[in-house]
Amino acid sequence: MKTYVVQRLLIALLTLLGMSMVIFVLLRLAPGDIVDILFSTAGYVSPSEKQAIMKELGMDRPYWVQYLDWLHQIVTGDLGKSYRYDQPAWQIIRPLVPVTLELAALSMIFAVLIGVPTGVVSAVRQDTTLDYALRVFSLAGLSMPAFWLGMVIILSLVSWFAWIPPLTYVSPMKDWKLHAIQFLLPALAVGYRSSALIMRITRSSLLEVMREDYIRTAWAKGQTGRIVIWRHALKNALLPVVTVIGIEFAFLIGGLVVTETVFNLPGVARFLVQAILWRDYPVVQNLVMFIAIVVILSNLLVDMLYGVLDPRVRYGG
Amino acid sequence: MSRLRISRSLIVLGVTLSALAFAGPAQSQTPKSGGTLNIMLREDLAQGFAIHESSTISTVFPSSPCFNNLVYFDPFKPVESTDTLIGDLAEKWSWQDNYRNLVFFLRKNVKWHDGKPFTSKDVKFTFDMLREGPDAPAKLRINPRKDWYANVEAVEAPDPYTVAFRLKRPQPSLLSLLATGYTPIYAAHIPPANYRTTCVGTGPYKVKEWRKGEYLDYVKNPDYFVKGRPYLDALHYVVIVERGTRTAALQAGQLDAAFPGETTKAAAEQLKKAVPQLVITPVGASVTDNIILNTKKPPFDNLKVRLAVSYAIDRRGLIQAVHQGAGVPGAAMAPRPYGVWGMAEKDLLTLPGYGKPAEMKDKARKLLAEAGITPQHPLRVEMVTRAIAVYVDMASFVINELKQVGIEATLKQIETAQWHAMATRGEYQIGANLTGLGVDDPDANLYENFACGSPRNYSAYCDEHVTKLIDQQSQELDPKKRLALVIAIQKKIEEDAARPLLDHRIDYFTVWPHVKNLIPHHNIFNFARMQEVWSDK
Repeated sequence: MKTYVVQRLLIALLTLLGMSMVIFVLLRLAPGDIVDILFSTAGYVSPSEKQAIMKELGMDRPYWVQYLDWLHQIVTGDLGKSYRYDQPAWQIIRPLVPVTLELAALSMIFAVLIGVPTGVVSAVRQDTTLDYALRVFSLAGLSMPAFWLGMVIILSLVSWFAWIPPLTYVSPMKDWKLHAIQFLLPALAVGYRSSALIMRITRSSLLEVMREDYIRTAWAKGQTGRIVIWRHALKNALLPVVTVIGIEFAFLIGGLVVTETVFNLPGVARFLVQAILWRDYPVVQNLVMFIAIVVILSNLLVDMLYGVLDPRVRYGG
Repeated sequence: MSRLRISRSLIVLGVTLSALAFAGPAQSQTPKSGGTLNIMLREDLAQGFAIHESSTISTVFPSSPCFNNLVYFDPFKPVESTDTLIGDLAEKWSWQDNYRNLVFFLRKNVKWHDGKPFTSKDVKFTFDMLREGPDAPAKLRINPRKDWYANVEAVEAPDPYTVAFRLKRPQPSLLSLLATGYTPIYAAHIPPANYRTTCVGTGPYKVKEWRKGEYLDYVKNPDYFVKGRPYLDALHYVVIVERGTRTAALQAGQLDAAFPGETTKAAAEQLKKAVPQLVITPVGASVTDNIILNTKKPPFDNLKVRLAVSYAIDRRGLIQAVHQGAGVPGAAMAPRPYGVWGMAEKDLLTLPGYGKPAEMKDKARKLLAEAGITPQHPLRVEMVTRAIAVYVDMASFVINELKQVGIEATLKQIETAQWHAMATRGEYQIGANLTGLGVDDPDANLYENFACGSPRNYSAYCDEHVTKLIDQQSQELDPKKRLALVIAIQKKIEEDAARPLLDHRIDYFTVWPHVKNLIPHHNIFNFARMQEVWSDK
């Protein structure tokens, strides 16, 4: 197991190196740069002033020098300076990370708490009215984009109650109730979509397992429904579900952009969009790397969970 | 009365009626001290507090409470002119030597937020830096309004509380330029680059915290030189990027005041329906819709083709279709009551594109035919515009209008990052553009957008006679004669289709009724100091 994890981490490092190249190149392929944006806010362009700013920001150096400089910064833990804010990128990124991680985790908890039980019920009550109702519920979740649902929630709240959740971040230390309210609604909006996917995977996986011989044997031995389903069937049906949860979590981190924007949560995803619009390379590069690390780590965690859920899974040395 | 006159009267009447419909209670109570005002920001501060390096309301509006100018437009008077100027850091001022010297006598009890005294050195520092004089003590990395001070020969500080601007020639407009939100005084002991991250001003509020992309908090400056001001204890600017969320926040009362230039007529009507007590004031947004035409390249180097474009576009149709009536037709300068330099209705009638749409389009077709463009040989052009909804909506309307006279335009959207660079380099044929005007003043507008060689004269229009007229009006001391010159210039540049003006936009500035003395001006850049604002909550 230890060797497997070390191997995976080494592969992860290579993946991140590849990612860094892709991020670096793609950013520079996008039209315009921070200097163009600065002049855009000034309404004119002066080639000599432009050159001076390029030099000031180190953007006049060859690309490969800029790339190696960035790698050096990552290794030394110095993430460079934000072009836009003229401050260390880490200072700007640090407060954003917990917001996004909390929102993603809460959304995932919602998704699992809704998705797994409804998937089980739907499978057990296959082709009943309840099953059809739950399938419609899940289909609706898959069809509704989270940002649209978020906006509907905001507009409904303001129309019916003349109230919306706080629009500046409330620390749990300051007011945990308000903090909870601030995060629950966006987490619900995001979690609903993921729950729909988890519900459908749980249902189909469980239906497949329920037709296995050992389940039939369990029924024949007179086991109660609860034991057959929750102990024997669900445990074996969970492998694909866990895979989906892992993928969804990684997807969530990158996909929270619009939800954070609609609920005005100061997270990584919302800030990333602004940073991209400003071509703030140091901030964008490091935020995307952060997302890549989360994706890689969540995939690793899922792979390790396989072994816990299914003892037949063995990790190669 | 011609159709345009009736139509324009109807537009002004409509806006006036909607002003009456939207208007809130009269603000004549005794001001109270205390409280916090929650104010909307549609994006984070574009370049921190570095107003002198920026040309966007996203910098000026949230930064203004930190600063003072020498003079400022009276916050209680929505229409701005040299008659509405009040002293700010200057107690009084005097024109001398037949308007060649402008002397300011400064207040003596003013401190910077870091406790250092404010003196004439700070004023000299600021304006030497802005005009990039030979002895400039500092350099801005971007200096968008350098041209405003082209006529300043020297700034002298004979004693700590006197500053003299020596001019190359008389320029009565200089006072207006000094009164805009774009002209705060920087501290001489602070490097200008520092204003990108923090603010040391003399203003009524001191920066408490700026959480990037999230909020900006100010607290009352206890040492402010105007006794009893400001009234509020704090200002809390909240960055809300999503428009729907911004409107919901205002409706729910989480915000007390909207962002200038942000509330459309449709949004105002929706807000008023939901919360009837909201105070909504229609004001000029100091933004024009206009068409930039590359006069250096075919086919728009041909006056007839340019004029055909101008004749083809139905201004009133655009105002109705694109802005739901929230705009007024006008030439380069804002028409009354939104400004003081605009053309009267009778003068507008004589301009291309302001008559009956069908007749105007006939004229456009005729002009095109004279230029060899016929239905059999239509003109195909690429229309550029910025990839932002407000630009694209306007461009789409214009393309449809042009099609009706035989100009087939395809739309090309340009990323914001590329827009100004492309326009400045003249890498386009025709474009749909928006222009914000920092102050309702002919010098600021005409030199910037129509004078030969100006980097923001995107059409690259250059007429020596017009440039002479611009110089002439700039030094004319008789207001009536100056107005006549300004009108003549506007007429000429419309007849030359230099940059056909389509309309001046209207903003529906919204506040809750407990917000007092936040009186929007007909220019979004010049009423954000918040010194007189108080809360009746």
